[in-house]
Amino acid sequence: MKTVFINCSPKKRFCASAYFLFLQRLFVGGEKVTEKLRTPADNDRILGKLQGANAVVFGLPLYVDGIPSHVLRFMERMETYCKENGLRMSVYVIANNGFIEGKQNEPLMRTFENFCARSGLSWGGGVGIGGGVMLNVTRVLFVVQVGLLLLNTALSAVHTGNFFPVDAWISFGKSTAILLYFNLGVLFYLIRMGRFIRKGTPCGKKYTRILIPSFIFILFADIFFIVLSVFEGGIFRGWLAKKKVEER
Amino acid sequence: MKVILHDLDSGYDGLIASRCDRVIAADGKYAPCQGCFGCWTKHPAECFMKDALRQVCRVIGQADELVIVTKNLYGGYSAAVKNVLDRSIGTSTPFSTYRGKQMHHTLRYGKHGLWKVIVYGEITDTEKEAFRYLAERNAINDGFEKSQVLFIGDASELEGLL
Repeated sequence: MKTVFINCSPKKRFCASAYFLFLQRLFVGGEKVTEKLRTPADNDRILGKLQGANAVVFGLPLYVDGIPSHVLRFMERMETYCKENGLRMSVYVIANNGFIEGKQNEPLMRTFENFCARSGLSWGGGVGIGGGVMLNVTRVLFVVQVGLLLLNTALSAVHTGNFFPVDAWISFGKSTAILLYFNLGVLFYLIRMGRFIRKGTPCGKKYTRILIPSFIFILFADIFFIVLSVFEGGIFRGWLAKKKVEER
Repeated sequence: MKVILHDLDSGYDGLIASRCDRVIAADGKYAPCQGCFGCWTKHPAECFMKDALRQVCRVIGQADELVIVTKNLYGGYSAAVKNVLDRSIGTSTPFSTYRGKQMHHTLRYGKHGLWKVIVYGEITDTEKEAFRYLAERNAINDGFEKSQVLFIGDASELEGLL
């Protein structure tokens, strides 16, 4: 069994789509190929990898309630390619958006469903994830926690000769449990979809989110953008102003 | 202000220009959005890419009525039209709010009137349903009071609908 994972985020690094595809790969067996779709220059290379594939998993962000334009261009090419080469794989989707409601990915899912119908491919279904950016941040926080644990262990070993500082491990365990809790909905549905991918059967559309209350999420999102805008300078350049078109 | 965003060929330029205050031609030659959020956090309401779409969010943001003429693609906008929409998220600010009982971004230019979509090309009933839903979601997201979707077989039927 061959599964092709396509990371469709236009970002060069640190994208939420890569994180969710990484998790999904853990729950799919057989031959696994991962590709990055950022520009039209990637199209031909990725199409070549579809030969012999049983399933394709698209990982992508929601843009303006739909599929990013560079992915639409790839899908048009893929439709033609699959028809010409008689390819009949199943298509699964992991979509994420910056809002908290995973259900906001629904228009994107419908477009993929229509794409499959046009292309003669099997619509496998997907997982729509709310709070994608913040979930992506949790993986960084996990790495930070591991770093702190290693640092505390080293300090403890140097100062007291104890290679197992209990307090540091308890702190690490608590922090990791919280981060895991935020991701529980996503993990549940990705494990579930992995089972369907292995069987090659449709799993339907499921929606989930980061597991925190909406009003707290919004508060953190606003703080995130304020901090980012201070560092990038936008907050000093008419951050919320009704900008007029500069005629040139 | 009435704005028309379209992916038609140059043969329709005269007709389109005569029916609105501002035209955005989606010719498919623009670079896609890079998802950097720079139009929110670095240079508000302006894209870092120095092409004709650099300030497109300011045009769409000031539209009372936005008319989108697009070829059907899987029950959604053509890639060329979607490229323009993707590059226009500066119509909103990075701050969040609730609209339609869901989280959205606050509007840089306030409320708008009509989000109208005219879809040409062959289309199935399922795709029509998907398109109506998509336009409805776009209208909520971008702060338009209502959405309308019209389906025509060919772009030549466009004249009375703009």
